[in-house]
Amino acid sequence: MRKDIFEKMEILSNSAKYDVSCSSSGVETKYKKGELGATHTSGICHTYTADGRCVSLLKVLLTNFCIYDCAYCINRKSNDEIPRAAFSPRQLADITINFYKRNYIEGLFLSSGIIENEDHTMILIIRTLKILRNEYKFNGYIHVKLIPGCSVELVKEVITLANRVSSNIELPSDKSLKLLAPNKTKQKVLQPLKYARDLSLEKDTKPIGMSTQLIVGATPESDKDILKLSSVLYNKGLLKRVYYSAYIPVNPIKNLPALNTKPPLLREHRLYQADWLLRFYDFTWDEIVNDSNPNLDEELDPKTFWALNNLQYFPMEINKASKEELMRIPGIGARGVFKILKARRFKKLNFLDLKKLKISLKKAKYFITCNNDFQREVAFRPDAIKTALVAPKQSLAQPTLFDMFGEF
Amino acid sequence: MKLIYDGTFEGFLTLVYDVYYEKIQVKYILKEEKYEALLLDETYIVETNKEKYYKVYEAITKRFPKFYVEKIFNTFMCDSKDFEMDLLNFIVLGFKDIKQLENINHIFIANLKNLEHELFRHVHKMYAYARFKELDDESLYAQIESKFNVVYFLGKHFKKRFNNQNFIIHDINRKIAFIHTDSFKGIQNVAGFEQPKYSKNEEKFDKLWKSFFKAVSIKERENLKLQKNHVPLLYRNMMNEFN
Repeated sequence: MRKDIFEKMEILSNSAKYDVSCSSSGVETKYKKGELGATHTSGICHTYTADGRCVSLLKVLLTNFCIYDCAYCINRKSNDEIPRAAFSPRQLADITINFYKRNYIEGLFLSSGIIENEDHTMILIIRTLKILRNEYKFNGYIHVKLIPGCSVELVKEVITLANRVSSNIELPSDKSLKLLAPNKTKQKVLQPLKYARDLSLEKDTKPIGMSTQLIVGATPESDKDILKLSSVLYNKGLLKRVYYSAYIPVNPIKNLPALNTKPPLLREHRLYQADWLLRFYDFTWDEIVNDSNPNLDEELDPKTFWALNNLQYFPMEINKASKEELMRIPGIGARGVFKILKARRFKKLNFLDLKKLKISLKKAKYFITCNNDFQREVAFRPDAIKTALVAPKQSLAQPTLFDMFGEF
Repeated sequence: MKLIYDGTFEGFLTLVYDVYYEKIQVKYILKEEKYEALLLDETYIVETNKEKYYKVYEAITKRFPKFYVEKIFNTFMCDSKDFEMDLLNFIVLGFKDIKQLENINHIFIANLKNLEHELFRHVHKMYAYARFKELDDESLYAQIESKFNVVYFLGKHFKKRFNNQNFIIHDINRKIAFIHTDSFKGIQNVAGFEQPKYSKNEEKFDKLWKSFFKAVSIKERENLKLQKNHVPLLYRNMMNEFN
């Protein structure tokens, strides 16, 4: 039976939802007179779903039919329990334009299961993009999932049409890939991204933004393995972003966590914090994780954890420390640093001044001095500070919502 | 002394003039609409005066770099807040020593900075959450309710993305609208209006969007509190997926 458009939408967005990436940021604000659509540098999240994740792009699959059989993926070939559907390029382009005009979305995130073969699938994706760009004169954001194993000519065509391309590594090591995605290797997954990078290097235009995704918690890799891999990918200039996705069991397979396993959301959160430190705070991966601490601490965020293990750099004098040093203070971010630098040109800052500038001192106060003043409640020892941070003194212990769901 | 003014930009600059030339000690400033007379109040009612306004306006644009003039405008868009004392202090200090305006240790400068930040955050949320509907003549129509006066910012933003479309952004509480048609582009007062007629496509895409919105949520990760942090109830009136 032919499925109507509403059913298709439900099936194909449902199948695409495990892709985390949804950003529409990191591009120049661009528009053309007399045409439709613009990109916005900071990106715009147009709504948030019940799981608290942002919706910026219309994230769908062109089809969820697939010739691959990856164990972690809901669309794997051997899964007979899900309905299958496919959009035609025209249909999807029309929906995109109409959603865009109503300000529901910033653009399109297009991925697909593999039908027939890799090149055929890629050609269908390109057809959709061409209708949008050439026929409808659409200049909004388009993110395309490159199909591993497609030919270099097709990659070439895609990067002239899209704002960002990506290819998901999914599993941080070849061993895990072999086990769970027998048709893929890390080499094969990264190949289209390397093509794309080389192509944009040749043309000496600004390289197209690229990203990837790693699944967390499906296989036994440590945070160290993951962050090391991310860091290598960033340093090689291959990627703009790595996304981390807490694994949600979708298939009952013996190599994978059982279906009732809860997704490791806290671990995912800590990885993102560490990722931020890599990209914006000038940390290197081996400062965050090492052989004695291969996994990120659950109780403390990675910056605080680092600071407690490197107390020799602290306490820092707010009025003297350099910008780079200030960036290392737990609880103070880029915006706070900026305010401090600006304010201290005019006077020596004390704690009250920081409060007035609305800089949060909850964590920072243990690591700073302000014009030689310092907090006196807690001794300057790692264990004392840790206790103060993790279990702040409570007046009359009242059970909170948190206590009831103690394990989170 | 307590100062009362009519809430307009012209009125406020007149106030600046009066404070300066009549050397008034200002205790606080109120918009007319918020003022309720009390018996023992010592009040001064500012009468908006075109000439005084122009004088102050010219002095400001001459003495203040463009960046600060914009900041003054922006502050004024935050019409639901009591920013007047801070803004007055800001302008007075600017005339005294323009360099000091960078000094965020002055509490009113920090306040204005935070307010401007709040404005931009709000504007960004409105970029995201304003929803358009297609009318039967194919133009796009958005009704908005916002805590600050953001129609100007929205107009500028959507002019870029809907460059080849006719559209209207209608602030129903402030009774103004940004209009973008072939014959007119800009902000207009809207006294009364009839409920517009929507195109027959509207229902289909509304339904499609809702089914998409429901389908992309992952049940195992449900977190309604986080959703509410990102989309406060204030905005949900405008957003069809929440209605």
